[in-house]
Amino acid sequence: MTRYIIRRLLQAIPLLLLISLILFVLMEEMGDPLATFGGRRVLRSEDRIRLTRQLGLDKPIWVQYVVWLAGNDWMKIDLDGDGLSESYGTRRGVLRGDFGMSFVTRRPVIDMIAERLPNTLLLMLTSEVVILVLSLLIGVTSALKQYSVYDHAVTAFSFIGYSMPIPLLAIGLMYLFAVNFKRWGLPYFPTVGIFDPAVGRTVPQVIWHMVLPVAALSTISIAAYGRYIRASMLEVINQDYIRTARAKGLRERTILYRHALKNAALPLVTLVGLDLPMLLGGAIVTEGIFAWPGMGRLFIDHTVRSDFPVLMGILMMISVAVVIFQIITDITYTWLDPRIHYD
Amino acid sequence: MKNVCWSRLTVWVMLVALLVPLLAACAPTPTPVAPAATPAPPTPVPPTATPARLKVVTITFTQEPDNLNPLYTSMWFALTLRDLYLADGLLTYNDKNEPIPWIAREIPTLENGGISADGKTITYKLRDDVRWSDGTPLTADDYVFTWQMIMSDKNTVQSRDPFDVAVDKVEAQDPHTLVVTFKEPYTPWQAKIFSNVNATNALPKHILEPVFQKDGTLDNADWNRNPTVGVGPFLFKEWESGSHLIFEANPDFWLGRPKLDQIFIRIVPDDAAQVAAIKAGDSDIGVFIAYSDMPDLEKLGTLDLVKQSSGYKESWFFNLSTREDKTRGHPALQDPNVRRAIVMAVDRDKICQDLLYGRTKPAITFWDGTPYANPDIQPIPYDPEGARKLLDEAGWKVGADGIREKDGVKLKLRYATTTREVRRNTQVIVQQMWKEVGIDTELINHSPDIFWNSYGDGGPIATGGYDVAEWSTCPAFPDPDTATWRCKEIPSDENPAGENWQFFCDKELDELFAKQATAVDTKARIQLFYQIAKIISDKVYWVSVWDDPDWWSVSKKLQNVRFSGATPFWNAYEWDKVE
Repeated sequence: MTRYIIRRLLQAIPLLLLISLILFVLMEEMGDPLATFGGRRVLRSEDRIRLTRQLGLDKPIWVQYVVWLAGNDWMKIDLDGDGLSESYGTRRGVLRGDFGMSFVTRRPVIDMIAERLPNTLLLMLTSEVVILVLSLLIGVTSALKQYSVYDHAVTAFSFIGYSMPIPLLAIGLMYLFAVNFKRWGLPYFPTVGIFDPAVGRTVPQVIWHMVLPVAALSTISIAAYGRYIRASMLEVINQDYIRTARAKGLRERTILYRHALKNAALPLVTLVGLDLPMLLGGAIVTEGIFAWPGMGRLFIDHTVRSDFPVLMGILMMISVAVVIFQIITDITYTWLDPRIHYD
Repeated sequence: MKNVCWSRLTVWVMLVALLVPLLAACAPTPTPVAPAATPAPPTPVPPTATPARLKVVTITFTQEPDNLNPLYTSMWFALTLRDLYLADGLLTYNDKNEPIPWIAREIPTLENGGISADGKTITYKLRDDVRWSDGTPLTADDYVFTWQMIMSDKNTVQSRDPFDVAVDKVEAQDPHTLVVTFKEPYTPWQAKIFSNVNATNALPKHILEPVFQKDGTLDNADWNRNPTVGVGPFLFKEWESGSHLIFEANPDFWLGRPKLDQIFIRIVPDDAAQVAAIKAGDSDIGVFIAYSDMPDLEKLGTLDLVKQSSGYKESWFFNLSTREDKTRGHPALQDPNVRRAIVMAVDRDKICQDLLYGRTKPAITFWDGTPYANPDIQPIPYDPEGARKLLDEAGWKVGADGIREKDGVKLKLRYATTTREVRRNTQVIVQQMWKEVGIDTELINHSPDIFWNSYGDGGPIATGGYDVAEWSTCPAFPDPDTATWRCKEIPSDENPAGENWQFFCDKELDELFAKQATAVDTKARIQLFYQIAKIISDKVYWVSVWDDPDWWSVSKKLQNVRFSGATPFWNAYEWDKVE
């Protein structure tokens, strides 16, 4: 198994380099980072020429990629625009742990991501746990009670939930539980943010502010996952080995969780394995609406301004996470299904 | 097998650990598919119960400032915040968009000797009672240092405007006398030289000079993000990226301690969420409120909707090019009376009523909302009968198909604008109204990312692909200057960045613009702009469809909140909150 993991990790290195190259080329096509430098006006051409030079945007794309990858502290650059390269750069490059400087904030990309990542993980992992617990509960129970009133009700709610556009759901929840509940004198939730400035950033405040975004984020996935689990449970509980287990006289609980659910969970593991790395990217829409300071907001704010050092940082982080979670998923298969071997 | 047990145990431990805080959070979730989550919520403290009541004003911003060092940003939201924590401009602007002295004791004029006779030297007398929040006095040296930092090649500052093109040198004659010498007389000095408007507020030399000497640049200075040392009515306390910024009252502010204790800026990127937050009372001040949200907000009775001009006017521009190339406009537009008729045929007040809820009106001059607006100019009235008469007189007679024509040329205008919804709706209404008087229209829409491209970049408007074009624009607000109608700005292959997209040269107008550009004395300059506006109005070179101010929502709990279009929070020290 160890050899397998090492082999997979080694294979990932050329893959990640290729991904970074493709992303970098696509970034160049995305837009002009200087386009928004003038604020409400157009940037003067004097400033445009100077900034293009100072930020290294006048270099050919392969040079920019090499600088991004390996830094420019080993090559001379021209700061004052006299055509002579007189001083060394200051970047060290991704390979040496320097993800570059944001064009927009002039801050290290790594710091900007580090600020946002905990907020996103708090929100996304909470949602993911809510999703898994509730969808397992719903999926299993409705499979066991197939075609009952409960099953039909869950099916109906799942379709409504699944077809709900997330902006509508988020704004709807906000209006019902924050705006209108307050007006009606009921206990209400806050609209936006992660805490109330008059109270300060306390644990109950953050949990209280998390309720609506988590609800908005999980509803759709609960509906979808619940359907998957129900379908694969139905398939499994009609298998011969379940009948055999019953014939052996095993307890129903053991049959359900040890034999049925474990096998039914394989497709779910695949789904979650693909989902988890994406959680790092945050939720663009939900974070925007509830003003949650996460990665999705960072990504969209800096996409609008074509700030590609930041975008490259986020996308590469997600790429690495995808590779790692794929390996973890493959390993989890061997635990769930002993028939799978990699050695 | 051992491994399996271990991993299963870990999974359960992790699940339990995650679930504990979670049950509290998700219990009252209103998800329709949550029959299991029935236990009553552990009744968290209602968010309104606070121990000690601070006077906090919460302001929602739809964009996050990028940098708090004025040299490194040109974002409107960052500029607006500087009135709170930095506010060390020599001049600032009040709610009439007039310049008023701020750190300068008075506005330099010819009479008080602040402006030299040749108009090239301006001397500012600084207040001597202003201190940075760490006790260091604010002196002329801070301004000189700022100028040096703007001009240094080591700093990737956003803009060097106007120091690279107009300024010869900046000197501190003594700690409280600052002398700025220009290459040529430079009229926009009020707004652009160390004022609170332009990104040229003074930096704290005693903090940043050591940083520059150590790092060789200010690009990565900690102060850019944590400007804890300032001179404004409020002091920077914290900035959590993506979430909020906090500013606290400056007890030693030179005009006295502000009445509020804290200003809390919350970043709410979604417009609909901002409106919900305002409705729920979670935001005391909101900005860039959309017209469509105003009726609902007003109904609440808890807030006022306040407008303030920052110079923008939704405008019509006529293509007056007679060049024998692709820029050529419709020949009918050469006649000022035809242009007048085109405007008279449109009920612009009705457009404002129907599309903008009657909350704005057509602007009368390009400088409305500033001291440079000529009060004697009369707007062009809605008069379809008069329009028909003018068109008949100009020789454009109604043809068999109901469309006017002259010498075999149909009066069909290409009406171009962006893809914005309100503009599309305007196009449709205007098309109907023009049809009434016999003008045919071809509607053209371009996405905003190409609409404003220059002549050199093949922009559809800059290369004359229109007869009437609509967009929102402003002068160099709060300075009245503009390049829009200068002869030398007509775009061509030799001048690909030219800004006169109407391709016309009116010698009289051009001379007046040249004259105002050296009229350092404000009174004389205002008179010149009165004349300029008269020519533009008489010859119908430019028409406003509606005035395009910035809209704010202000909670009725707040007092003395008066925005300026140039420096919005200029009087934040006077704001108060009454529960």
